[in-house]
Amino acid sequence: MNAAEIVDILLVEDNPHEAELVMRALRRSRPGVRVGLVHDGVEALDYVFGEGKHEGRGPVEPPRVILLDLKLPKVDGLEVLRRIKSDKLARTIPVVMLTSSREQRDIDTSYRLGANSYVVKPVNYEQLASLVQDLGSYWLAVNQGSKSEG
Amino acid sequence: MQAAQQLKDSLREIGDLKAALDEHAIVAITDPQGRITYVNDKFCAISKYSRAELIGQDHRIINSGHHPAEFIKDLWGTIGRGRVWHGEIRNRAKDGSFYWVDTTIVPFLDEAGKPRQYVAIRADITERKRAEEELKAKVNEVSDLKRALDEHAIVAITDPQGRITYVNDKFCAISRYSRAELIGQDHRIINSGHHPASFFHRLWSTIGTGRVWHGEIRNRAKDGSLYWVDTTIVPFLDDAGKPRQYVAIRADITERKRVEEEIRDLNNQLEQRVARRTADLELANKELEAFSYSVSHDLRSPLRTLDGFSQAVLEDHGELLPPEGRRYLQTIRTAAQRMGDLIDDLLSFSRLSRQPLTREAIDSVALVRSVADELSAEQPARTVELVIGELPVARGDFGLIRQVWMNLLANAYKYTGRSAHPRIEVGATTRNNEVVFHVRDNGTGFDMRYVGKLFGVFQRLHRVDEFPGTGVGLAIVQRIVHRHGGRVWAEGEVDRGATFFFTLGEEEAR
Repeated sequence: MNAAEIVDILLVEDNPHEAELVMRALRRSRPGVRVGLVHDGVEALDYVFGEGKHEGRGPVEPPRVILLDLKLPKVDGLEVLRRIKSDKLARTIPVVMLTSSREQRDIDTSYRLGANSYVVKPVNYEQLASLVQDLGSYWLAVNQGSKSEG
Repeated sequence: MQAAQQLKDSLREIGDLKAALDEHAIVAITDPQGRITYVNDKFCAISKYSRAELIGQDHRIINSGHHPAEFIKDLWGTIGRGRVWHGEIRNRAKDGSFYWVDTTIVPFLDEAGKPRQYVAIRADITERKRAEEELKAKVNEVSDLKRALDEHAIVAITDPQGRITYVNDKFCAISRYSRAELIGQDHRIINSGHHPASFFHRLWSTIGTGRVWHGEIRNRAKDGSLYWVDTTIVPFLDDAGKPRQYVAIRADITERKRVEEEIRDLNNQLEQRVARRTADLELANKELEAFSYSVSHDLRSPLRTLDGFSQAVLEDHGELLPPEGRRYLQTIRTAAQRMGDLIDDLLSFSRLSRQPLTREAIDSVALVRSVADELSAEQPARTVELVIGELPVARGDFGLIRQVWMNLLANAYKYTGRSAHPRIEVGATTRNNEVVFHVRDNGTGFDMRYVGKLFGVFQRLHRVDEFPGTGVGLAIVQRIVHRHGGRVWAEGEVDRGATFFFTLGEEEAR
């Protein structure tokens, strides 16, 4: 992913096959959508805070929504969520948990840490595609994001 | 003349003496036959007879009958021989009341040495006698009490310095010292060293200030054996308010202490065992939880990939495949989705054991009705006759019990799918004070030969293409019922329907 690229959606997903299926569904339902993909928690944080590999990403527009998996290598999804939501600038970015877990514990913790939504990925591809389409149209078309600087 | 004057003086002196005697004593004079010839006022007052009633009467008029014949014989024998008799006599007054008199009888003899009269001088000692009787009764009572106490308790008395001044037999028996070895010894001779110095310090400061001490003490006998005594020490004070002696009364509680200790040990062991088991169980639960969590995340992902890319092939390259190839891909998708369902059911089954159970009163009729409404809303095309009988209020976990009814009724709906007139009947009966709920249908039923498989996880009696399902529903029912301490069982016949029964057990079950 280009360091200075502006994206609509940041997808945080370690499994390349899963990522491909979500991106495929997104692009089919919203041609031209700009999706950024990162593969672990460290990279996600670097991206959001312009550090490490993404240092000097500069004052570009943040993504309109982050789709965040729970189980990630290095730094897990809940920790990524906590760090984003405790930063006075980054916390205005909507974060949608997109995960396989139906565990009540995960749902409760996510909301406690400030998640804006919690969505369980279905096994059935048609259901997944329709879900991703709904997420795209809601967060990119229906929802009004914050313009504040924190 | 001088002799006459001397006589006159003597007579006056005698008169004075008699007057003084009459003031002081009860006086009577009898003749040798015992007939009264003189009484003074005091005699009349105490005997409550008038002088006229007494003079000339036999002295036995005031005999009380208290003294034996020998006593009277001895009295007459003594004075009859001219000797003075002294003793205490109980007499009876005219009104029948008794009085005691300290009596001196002096015989006066004639020239021939025969008694010519007897002068009896008496003092009223009724009050002293009464006090004596009372004291004797009290002494008797105290000695009875002491005997009873000695029979019952271990008793010792020490002086203010703690030196033993008295021990009873029981004290000697339990301490295995002889009385001679104990008297004069410091009471610490039986100190076991079990109690800290502060214990005895408190004891002495309590009894030293005149207060009663009560407690349990471990002592050491002469042979080194240890014994426990429940002890009460009562301080007795002198006129200055200082303890003059301590009386210690004890009961042997060695056996009770031994049993207490045993119970304490057993409790400790039990607690340790429970703690160990709980730790094991918690570890097992944690492992199970970690396992379920991992299954929940990781097992579904490859299925999604299988399903997703199969669909991608169908969408992007479907026209390149012969119909057979497209059917194969569709079969892969069906299998992947079924496995997804199985994983979901398995997870909800394993979650059942982990979530805490809280009991509340449940309106069974309302609950069954709401479950049935939900089911018929899912299948609006079907017409099923539902009969709900009288159902008592149940006590259980609302969410879990709702799932029991949901799974049983959903089964009944499903397996009556081929019946001409589907009918489901819900009811309850009481057997041996236990409520038994049931769900009866007239559906496909089952062969009783396979009843043992019904409640197993992933056990099915029908093919998926006959009746869909994963085979977890009844396993979930059984797990919930067991967690409530209840039982679940089924009866059925092929093509004649099935009945499922369950109870919810006792409150303290888990």
